[in-house]
Amino acid sequence: MIEFRNVSYSYDPAAAAKAPDAGDAQADWGNSPDELWALRDVSFTLNDGEFFGIAGHTGSGKSTLVQHMNGLVAPTSGTVFVDGVDISDKHAASRVRANVGLVFQYPEHQLFASSVFDDVAFGPRNMGCPEEDMERIVREALQTVDLDFDAVRARSPFELSGGQQRRVAFAGVLAMHPRTLILDEPAAGLDPEGRRELLALVRRLHGDMGVTVVMISHSMDDLAVMADRILVLNQGSVWALGAPAEVFADAQACKSIGLDVPAPQRFANVLKERGVALPQPAGGLFTRESLVEAIAAAYRGRR
Amino acid sequence: MARSIIFGRYSPGKSPIHRMDPRLKLTAVLVAMVVILMSNTYPALAVAAAFVIGFYFVARIPASTALKSIAPLLFIVVLTALLNLFFVQGGTVYAQLGPLVISQEGVHFAIFLSLRLTLLLCMASLLTLTTTTLDLTDALEAMLKPFARFGFPAHEFAMVMGIALRFLPQFADELHTIRQAQLSRGAKITANPFKGGLSGLSSLMVPLFTSAFRHAETLSAGMDARCYHGGSGRTRLDPLTFTRLDVAGLVAIAAMAVCVVAAGMFHM
Repeated sequence: MIEFRNVSYSYDPAAAAKAPDAGDAQADWGNSPDELWALRDVSFTLNDGEFFGIAGHTGSGKSTLVQHMNGLVAPTSGTVFVDGVDISDKHAASRVRANVGLVFQYPEHQLFASSVFDDVAFGPRNMGCPEEDMERIVREALQTVDLDFDAVRARSPFELSGGQQRRVAFAGVLAMHPRTLILDEPAAGLDPEGRRELLALVRRLHGDMGVTVVMISHSMDDLAVMADRILVLNQGSVWALGAPAEVFADAQACKSIGLDVPAPQRFANVLKERGVALPQPAGGLFTRESLVEAIAAAYRGRR
Repeated sequence: MARSIIFGRYSPGKSPIHRMDPRLKLTAVLVAMVVILMSNTYPALAVAAAFVIGFYFVARIPASTALKSIAPLLFIVVLTALLNLFFVQGGTVYAQLGPLVISQEGVHFAIFLSLRLTLLLCMASLLTLTTTTLDLTDALEAMLKPFARFGFPAHEFAMVMGIALRFLPQFADELHTIRQAQLSRGAKITANPFKGGLSGLSSLMVPLFTSAFRHAETLSAGMDARCYHGGSGRTRLDPLTFTRLDVAGLVAIAAMAVCVVAAGMFHM
């Protein structure tokens, strides 16, 4: 369980101290580069076993927010608790890192070891896992991301394809067996096939292995289908927090902060504007299937 | 994100000094720095300081920005002051502690040299505060051009410098991200080789170098795609031209030189 209590963060704490009011922002959406506050008074609780989506326009503070979750960044004011422990303390933060795995954007850019094995083993070795368990740990991690352990273990990560590199980087975090997995745009820059596979992997981790997942994404379609709750950031403040159906209920409001609603819902909204109102299911219109059903229901109702 | 203020980061503006021709600005700043270096008395230094402050005023750069821009280099000033304080001897001895002697001459030199150094830094900083790196490298290229006749690759040299400057902040940002990522995997990043520091460092340096190569490849492909073929026969979209503004700048620098020299003589 991760709890954010009134967390504000500034890149320039000295200047922020002079203007302690994390109040008004000037930019329309996103933060202007000189903006004092990257996060303003953020409070929420992430429950165990949850699939938590984070959305928001570029520069709204998403990446800064998740870097608070394993203590990489300490709040300028406010507190982050992981399992009830305040992680502003350096030692608490480094203990937390074994439990909270953070996969950065384009994680393949952080590969460095001369073999896939060593790269995946980097995390567990840092955590002090005994060397005799290493082969088993690495094998499992690579299997989880659908890579053939025997085929890739001795290869240089730089010889692999882009999609494979990303999976190795993923495996490097999974090898630490985190209970919470934070993914910053995991599918960015992948082709549609790679994207589908990666999201399927994330679903499997959450569904079968019970990992708590926090996922930042620009694809509202993915978030709406996968997430239990979505947190929307705007200019560093919590703009909305709730189930996808609640968050995307007001398409106009979403648009005003530079956020799209999922494509099927958008389709239904346009139809409604043209005078064809579809029945709105309680869970929202977030998949093509539910859209087809709604259209079919409307069509049948008409006859 | 690494947000440290880099020495003389460009501060956008439309002041006369911003609009001056970079070639002239570079020359003028060099001349001003020589003038400051040559001022040997307090009155001369005061006059030079008045001119520097005047330049900043014309450039509409607030004192806080100016001070912030030279702050990272102030340690040089402090170091120089301390060295002079303890190692220059002469005149009345104020204090003595073992081999360390603080004398009248020492204090005088410490104060004088640190003032002069600060002024020099301010002047250098004014150039980078009011000139984009692109303009700066253009100016450098123009000034190195005469040496091209003797086989000096002026254009390539300026281009290499421009690209290096362009990527510095980017690599700083990327290094920061890589560091965060490796810390997330429990890396112990220290320079101490006995605490696994070397593997920690390689986990930073290898990704940074691969990223540099990746950027270099993308950049060279991008330059190729736009038919870049080096300096020969290249024309400019905005040719550098001297205007009346530059004449004014020239006059201001000449005035500074004359006044500072005069102030120095007056004291004698």
